[in-house]
Formats: sequence, structure tokens, C-alpha cells
Amino acid sequence: MSDELPLPVPGSEATPTPTDPAPRILIAPTAGAAPASAPTTPPLGRRRVPPSHTLGTHLRATILFLALSVLLSGFAYPAVVVAVAQVIEPNSANGSLLHYPNGTVAGSSLIAQNTSAPFLFWSRPSLTDYNTTLGADTPPGPTDPALGQLLNETLNYTREYGNFTVNASLPFWFVAPSASSIDPDLTPEAVLIQIPRVSEASNLSIAFLTSLVNAHIDTSIVPYVGVSYIDVLQLDLDLLPLEGR
Amino acid sequence: MALEVQSFWDVVLLLVLAIAVAPWFGAYLGRVYMDRPLPGDVVLTRIESAIYRLLGTSPRRSMPAREYMLAILLVNGAMLAFLFWFFFDQASLPFNPTGVPNMTWDLAFHSSSSFTTNTDFTHFTNESQLSFGALDIAWQLALFLSAATGLCVMAAMVRGFVRKDGTLGNYYVDMVRTISRVLLPISIVGALILVLLGVPETWTATVIAHPITGGTQTIYLGPVASWQTVSLLGTNGGGWYSANAASPLANPSAVSNLFLIFLMLLIPFAAPFAFAQIIRRKGEAWPFMGTILIVLVIAFGLFVAFQAVNNPALASVTGLGPQTNGYPVGQETRFSLPEGSLFQVVSVYGNVGANNMAIGSVTPVAQMVLLFGMFTQSTPGGEGTGFGMLLLFAVLAIFVGGLMVGRTPEYLGKKIETSHIKWAALALLIHPATILIPFVVAVAGGFVQVDGATLPATAHNFTSVLYEFTSESANNGSALSTGAFTDSTPFFNVVGALVMLVGRFVPIWAMLKVGDLFSKQEALPPSSGTLRTASGTFTIYLTLFLIITSALLFLPVLAMGPLAQIVGGM
Repeated sequence: MSDELPLPVPGSEATPTPTDPAPRILIAPTAGAAPASAPTTPPLGRRRVPPSHTLGTHLRATILFLALSVLLSGFAYPAVVVAVAQVIEPNSANGSLLHYPNGTVAGSSLIAQNTSAPFLFWSRPSLTDYNTTLGADTPPGPTDPALGQLLNETLNYTREYGNFTVNASLPFWFVAPSASSIDPDLTPEAVLIQIPRVSEASNLSIAFLTSLVNAHIDTSIVPYVGVSYIDVLQLDLDLLPLEGR
Repeated sequence: MALEVQSFWDVVLLLVLAIAVAPWFGAYLGRVYMDRPLPGDVVLTRIESAIYRLLGTSPRRSMPAREYMLAILLVNGAMLAFLFWFFFDQASLPFNPTGVPNMTWDLAFHSSSSFTTNTDFTHFTNESQLSFGALDIAWQLALFLSAATGLCVMAAMVRGFVRKDGTLGNYYVDMVRTISRVLLPISIVGALILVLLGVPETWTATVIAHPITGGTQTIYLGPVASWQTVSLLGTNGGGWYSANAASPLANPSAVSNLFLIFLMLLIPFAAPFAFAQIIRRKGEAWPFMGTILIVLVIAFGLFVAFQAVNNPALASVTGLGPQTNGYPVGQETRFSLPEGSLFQVVSVYGNVGANNMAIGSVTPVAQMVLLFGMFTQSTPGGEGTGFGMLLLFAVLAIFVGGLMVGRTPEYLGKKIETSHIKWAALALLIHPATILIPFVVAVAGGFVQVDGATLPATAHNFTSVLYEFTSESANNGSALSTGAFTDSTPFFNVVGALVMLVGRFVPIWAMLKVGDLFSKQEALPPSSGTLRTASGTFTIYLTLFLIITSALLFLPVLAMGPLAQIVGGM
């Protein structure tokens, strides 16, 4: 066993000379704890073992270590990453912003907005009214009676203002609240069923809208990873000029 | 929904990749903590030596367990004080562009304890209650240092197996090397990959957008990618955004989701191999890796299976389309069911605590699966401390096994004695104590309130409170309770902070103490009676021991919360 776990490391215990660099592995025997296997290792007696830290040394090390860490973690590290990120991928580094033709910021392609107008495709419902501050607005638990109530309200609202028939069955993802409340994506199925309403409100043909929607189906940069979905805000912003708005 | 086998290919590939990297990266970690030559020495050794001189310490000054613990408490205590001051005073401190007010003393105490202990449980809403500077300077400091502290504890404990001089290493040196050789280089690369995958990285704090339908929308930005990377790599689990990894800005796509899972698995999977490298017996890593994998894969399987079934409570809702790609309430569209679930299971089982879904919305069985991961704390558990816990489980398992067959229990040639068992049992039992006692006080004392009214004692409310203290005691940080009851009250803040501090530093002391005991023992040569720990039999024994011990400790309380929810549908 002690052959298998040789300590100290062979070679690191050469007799120290004044120019000898500090051994890479520390052997600091304390009084009374001398290894019983001492005969197999060279004597350590001639090397001066540094005294253990005083409380003052500890306090100094603590304060200086924290100060260095703050500079590194709060400033140097993010500064380096920001500097490189702004060069290699400025679009996503600045929040994947979407603009109107006049340059005003419309939103971020990664954040849903309230698009519940007849002439636009709707996103998933939001418990925060598409406010990016989430707060305590999480969906009700699975056995909470409030869940069925919430889904019924969303279904009724969507049917009434979304131009669906009274008892139409709607895709679950279209009416279920998301985790972030700003999920910008929808399943293709949930976008396609909105086409009749958008067509009626915008005078664009169903065939044209269908091809527009299909062109917006996102596929991952890695094939077959994830599910296919549509970024609704991106779709709506592309739709606006086509509707002449 | 029928589960499609092909939809699992990417998560399976990811797990295989994480396992494949683990032995290599674990060997690297082992070399970091044994001060062996490493790539990058040419530049980094000089910088590190300069830092040691500045701190007034040296790698040659190795500390016994007591002094190592003192250094941990000093650094973590000073960090706690710094964070408390920052949060308590953030309105008047610099870098507060959105005019965030100060935290109350109890919320500041809870938050600073939470970040210092690697828990990152939040009782506030980031965007409205935390300034840009508090996020970037105060919280990010804790992201680095709490993760590094966990790894240092593991390194010190494991060194006890190979040292004979009664010392465990130098805490300051271990911290510096953890940051310079592990956390910082991986974080920089990881952050840039996240930027390429769409995560913001800028010094701009907010952008005002003008939606099509009118009004304005505030988009919060910042150095999100760099922050999020170290948060997940260090198993902290805090989020730049209140929606954590469910926020589309922090986790924009299925690919970024897979990458974040990889970051969370990297160090916890490498820990057993770092251990094997330090004790120089490669085979000893696999029982631990096997235990971690068995528990993790079973948990993942259960989670996916129960997220795929229909919620019976919604049978009365008419006009709801069929469930595709899992149960959509509280889920994000862009993740497939296996991808989203693997993130959540890895996050909770690795004591990261980040969420990419609203876990209060997952099905009762899935909630219980998550709770179980926090009961074991070690499959794989938090940065460093998770593996330390698993080693303590192994010590206990060997001791119990030795008693059953009448052998002298020994591990790696070192006898396991009463004193080892006392410390290991302390680390094991402090967990239920810090969960169950506050849980009973909170429920019986009427502290579980919403808007000043005490909540009715339903199974779901029980589960929420149980999850709260379990998450805090395990230093996990995921929250089931958000919105279920008011958590930012003086009671939940102060008690929660104490639970996190005890749940962090008592097990750390036990781990160091066990390492200390081993470091003073002579290794015995193996004999015919020696239990072979590097074997499949031991792996299965350890797995069962861990599952049964954890289940027995918590079964009564599970019956009150999640089990009642499953059976009664309350």
C-alpha cells in the first residue's frame, strides 16, 4: 500500500540547497505527527518549515484575496468577455434587438410582446402582461384549482377575440402560460390556426400567409436538436410592412 | 403523448459526451490540487506566486483541518459581510442605473447567505430589487468564491487519504489555483460560446423597446453570458434574470440548453476522477460515477415519463388540444421534453438550482423526483461538496457493510473507526434536522402566509414549504414556492439564511474532519479480508445504501406533501 501511495513524491525531496526552488509538494510535519514510514523517506530535518499562519496573516490574506477576487470577477472577467463578444457576435451580445424600418427598437427577437391585435399573430399568454420582470407570477401548480380556471379563461378569451368557433379545440401550447412569461416562440400548429383571422384583418391571402409562416419555422443550427417553432415577434414585424402598416 | 425514442438522441449523446470528458478533466483537476505540472504553467505559475506573496502565504504552508476551516470561515464570512453591505446599501452604491431601492436587513441577510453558501435561493425579483452593480460585483464574486470553496473542501478532504502529516493543504493557494486553472479559463470560453448561441454580453443595463401594439417594454441586458456561465459551471444556479434559465435571453435555444447542461455536469462528473487521480487508483472513481449515473438516469426517466402524461386535474377543461411534447404549463416552447427535463433534473441533482421551467407547475411525481435529488445531495451534488458527501456515504456504507459481514471496515487501507462515523453521521443527519425542524415551525406556527392570511394546509402548500427548506439546506436554490406563499418575510429570510449557513458549513467541517482523521492514519496493506471497493458489487451496494438511507430519512414528510398530492390530487 505505501508503495502504491508514495509520499512524498520521489524526486521532490532532494536535499535543499540555497538555490533549490520550493518543493512542489508540501511536507510540513508537525511535532508528534512524524510519519512512521520515515525511514523510507529522506530526513526533512534540514529544511526550515515555515511557521503556521498567525491570525494576522489570515486576516491580511482574507482581505487581499477578496479585493483581488472582486476586481477579477466583477470587472476584469466580464470586461474581457464583453470586449470579445462585441467583436465576434455584436447582434446577440446586444440582446438580439429588432428594429422598425425607421430604426426605433421594436423589441428583442428573444422576448415576446403583446401582439393580441386581429392583424397580428399572437404569442403564448403571459402572466405578467409581457413585462420582462417576472416577480411571483408563476403558473398555478398541477393540482391547483386555479389552473383549470386560468386555462378556461384563456381559452374563452382566445376563442372570442381570436375568431375561433365557440367550442374550437385549441393547441395546448397556445393557451398554456410559459415559465418565463415572455416565451417568444409558438409551435407551428398554433401559428397556422391563426391564419384565417390574420387574413381577414389584413386582406392578405391564406396561401400567402401560409407560405410566410412556413418560411419562419425555426430549425436549430444543429439538425434534429430541439423542436420546430416560430418566433412570433419576428414574424409579426415581417408581416407589418406587407400589410402596409 | 407518445414518447418518441428518437427525441432522446441528443440528450443521450450529451450524457455520453459528459461521461467521456470526465476521466480526462478529472485527472486534470487532480493535478491542479496536487500541484503537478500543467499546461499554462509558464504564465500562470508566475502570476500565482506573485499573488501568494501578496497574500503573505505560500504553498509550503500546509494547514491542518482546524486552520483550513478557519481560513474558509474567514473568507466566506468576509464575503458574507461584503454582500450584506452591498445589498443593504445598493441604492446609494454605484452602478445602479435603474434606481433599485435598498434591501431590508432580513432580505439582505437571506440573499448574502444564499450566495455565499452556493445556494442562490432568491426571495426577490432580480430586475426590480437588485442593482446592476449588486449583480455584477457582489453576486458574481460569490459565484466564483462559493464554487471554488466547494472544490477546495473536496481537495482537502481527499488529500487526507494520501497525507500522513496531519495537514490538508493551503486554503488560499487552493482557492487561487481553482480560479486560475479551472473556473476562469472555462468560464471565458463558455461565455463566448453562449454569446455565439445568442446570449447578451454588454455593459448596457436596459433598452427600452416600443411594441407594435403600443406602450413600452424594458429589456434588461448586461454581461449575462459571462455571469450565467460561471453560475452554472460553479453549480451556483442563480440567474441574471428572475426567470433564470427559462428566460429566452439567458437560454435562447435548444442548443444553448444542451450546452448549459454540459457546463453543469462538467465539474461534478469530474470529481470522482479527480479523487482517483489524487489517491492514484483510477478504478476507485467508477463506483462513485456509477452511483451518480444510476440515480441520475432513473430520476431523469421518471421525470420525463410523468411530464408526458396528461394532467387528470384538467379533464374538465374543454377545448384543450392534445398534449404534444409534454405538459406545456410552465414550460418553454423551444425545448423538447427530454431536453427541458434533463436540464431541470441535472440542475436539481447537481445542486445547481437553476430552472428552465416553472417547477411549481410540474406534475406531483416530477416534484418528488426533484425533492429526492436534494435529499441525497450527492448524485452528483454541488461543486466539490457533493462528492464530499458521496465519500461520507461511502464511509458509512463500508462501515455498515463491515458490521454486517463481521469484517474490520476499512477504505483504501485506512480503518474506519467510531470517530469517522460520528462525523459522517453528523453531516448526514444535519440535513433532515435543518429541513424538518424549520418546516414544522413554519407550518405549525402559522408563518406560511399569502397577503397576511395563513394558507390552508393542502398537500401542495406542504410541498412548497418542504421544498423551500430542502432546497436551502441542500444549498440547491431552486424554488417551488415562488408565488405559492410570501417567502420574503422576516421569518423565512432569517430562518432560511440560518438553514443555508448550517447546511453548508457543518457538512464542510465534517468533511474536513474525516479527511483530517484519515491523514493521521497509516495505510494498511490489503489482505484477503479487504473489501474490494473498485467493483460493480460495491457500486450497486453504495447506490442502494444511498437511496434507502435518504428515503428512510424523509419518507414521513414525503407522505404529508407530494405523496398526498399524488394520491389525493389536492
